[in-house]
Amino acid sequence: MLRIDSLTKVYDDGTVALKDVTFDVQDGEFLVVLGLSGAGKSTLLRCINRLIEPTEGTITWNGIDVTAADGAQLRKIRRKIGMIFQAFNLVERSSVLTNVLSGRLGYSPTLTSILGRFPQQDLQLAMRNLERVGIGPLAQKRADELSGGQRQRVGIARALMQEPELMLADEPVASLDPVLAHSILRYLEQLNREDGITVICSLHYMDLVRRYATRVVGLKDGRVVFQGIADEITDERFKEIYGQEAERLSVA
Amino acid sequence: MEKNKQHRSPVLSALLSALPGMGQLYNGSTVRGVVLFVCIALLVPLVIWKGNYALFVAVLLVWLWNIYDAYSLAQGRRLPVLIPVLAIAFVVYFVGWGVTKINLQRLIEDVGDIRPLVTSLLKPAVLARDTETQVGRVSVQIPCSEEPPPKEDPPAEGPYLRLVTQSTCGDPLEDSFVVEGHGFWPSSFGSMWWVDEISMEWRVRQQGRYITFNTDEQGKIPPMNIIATEPMPEARGKGPRPYHIEARLEREVGAPHLSDTFFLVVEKMTETVFLALMATTFAIVIAAPISFLAARNMMGGNPATLAVYYGVRSVLNILRSIEPLIMAIIFVVWVGLGPFAGVLALAVHSIAALGKLYSEAVESIDPRPIEAVLATGANRWQMIAYAVIPQIVPPYLAFTIYRWDINVRMSTIIGFVGGGGIGFLLQQWIRLLMYREAGAAVWAIAIVVAIMDYVSARVREEVI
Repeated sequence: MLRIDSLTKVYDDGTVALKDVTFDVQDGEFLVVLGLSGAGKSTLLRCINRLIEPTEGTITWNGIDVTAADGAQLRKIRRKIGMIFQAFNLVERSSVLTNVLSGRLGYSPTLTSILGRFPQQDLQLAMRNLERVGIGPLAQKRADELSGGQRQRVGIARALMQEPELMLADEPVASLDPVLAHSILRYLEQLNREDGITVICSLHYMDLVRRYATRVVGLKDGRVVFQGIADEITDERFKEIYGQEAERLSVA
Repeated sequence: MEKNKQHRSPVLSALLSALPGMGQLYNGSTVRGVVLFVCIALLVPLVIWKGNYALFVAVLLVWLWNIYDAYSLAQGRRLPVLIPVLAIAFVVYFVGWGVTKINLQRLIEDVGDIRPLVTSLLKPAVLARDTETQVGRVSVQIPCSEEPPPKEDPPAEGPYLRLVTQSTCGDPLEDSFVVEGHGFWPSSFGSMWWVDEISMEWRVRQQGRYITFNTDEQGKIPPMNIIATEPMPEARGKGPRPYHIEARLEREVGAPHLSDTFFLVVEKMTETVFLALMATTFAIVIAAPISFLAARNMMGGNPATLAVYYGVRSVLNILRSIEPLIMAIIFVVWVGLGPFAGVLALAVHSIAALGKLYSEAVESIDPRPIEAVLATGANRWQMIAYAVIPQIVPPYLAFTIYRWDINVRMSTIIGFVGGGGIGFLLQQWIRLLMYREAGAAVWAIAIVVAIMDYVSARVREEVI
């Protein structure tokens, strides 16, 4: 179980990105974080694996205080938390396989991994994960030769290398064609249902939220303004999250 | 501010600006005031030092403008600065023209003076022919002693020189010897020499001209008058000494072949390329790790690393501001003349230059892969290996090739200050007016640099 308690993040320039955010995520949930750009979604997800240092509050995961962890302990926590990104965050000049293998670094000895040597089972795991997301034949291609949808699948395969128990997905489909959005989210859904990986995913489109979320947290200006299931988001609630001028927009 | 301005008196402002800029300061235009003050404070000594006093008209113009400007500022108007800028620029460039002794007339009129240089470039001392010499000599004594040496008989064969005059000795600047030669190469050009008892030699010079001769068709040197002199000043007044008067002819024989100069140039050019290679290699090896310490995105984490970052940056900036030639002079003092000093000078400068360029490459990388790799639980070293290095390889290669090009060029002149390589020969030859040899060196530099440029351009295309 992930417990976020009174989480606040104030950036150096004084921007308050998160204000007193509190909610729980049960194991096995597909939680969608909903909100406008700048509502604090990315900051929230990055606080969970401490890519961003929270200013105040605590994050507890499976009884471990993530906010207090440091060094080796933090890396040990991180390697169980997969993450995929809006911009995919691949190393463009490296091969797909190398990108995927980099997901295994948390388990690998420093010296051998720096020299690019991975044990046979890691290589096999990488190939299995690539096949799982349907891009096995692209393993030797350079990442910058791939299309957007393919890149995000590399991102998922990389996160799978961590054998994660929790998957953070920061706007995973916002850089993709709407038609590709479902294909990526279906992989996440599959991981959630078949592998029992807890998913925390930030999204824009209501239709996607309704289709995939088991529960929704709405953020506005760094505060939680909604918690519940997707069907409870009425037009009125929607406007609370997105502001009075927002119109519902659907995606095919 | 606005409110204050209304209380400023235009007249007082103008009066204050009699000392340039004070009126502007009084009106709150600090920068304007300081700039005006500094400009006028610098212009006055400049004009006195090197200028024409007529330039004070321009300075006066700036000063008057400065007063009017102060007056206007107090009324809330900022005058355009075109007039003082032009006046200041006029003075600066007028003085600059004089200080750097620009002389267009000379540039055009004396164009002929570079002819020997240019023609030597067209005839570099690459090829040479062997030479053969013919020497005939007679012995004389200067000044005369009690017992002058006996007159010599001409040798049985070969060319010889003989004294036509009776005496074998002569007093300096009073007597002279008449000599003639037989059996030399016909219709050839030759010169006369003094040789003393320890084989030191001087060309015979009379009235400021070297004595030369042409043999006739029978190989005879016509009689020539050689004034008795002691060629070495230190020997004067120290009693009688024996000398030879020599007639020398020289001619080229055989087919042209590569000259000694050519081989020397090839050797030194090779040294030059190695000099550039060693310097660049040392620079890469040291600058690559240092560049991470000088990259803000790698070191920004905490105060300790940030201090290292500033420290490394400062050292790099200081080192980079010292020209390699100056650095070479320092290292010549340190490790002595020769290529090692050149390697050190170029290496240190390249470390600074590459360190800066490399670190900027590190700073401009995409941070998103770093974030992704850290999110997997990777440590700092793994992050660098997987997210940073793949991104910096192309810029590092580009900067390295660029630096290599610069170092090849620099290594050709580092020898001017004793840093080894071809430059050492080149500057010696230029000073000795050996323009044909210098020409060979210049050609070697041009050819090698062009080849290196071409190669590195191709490498750049292939790799990046």
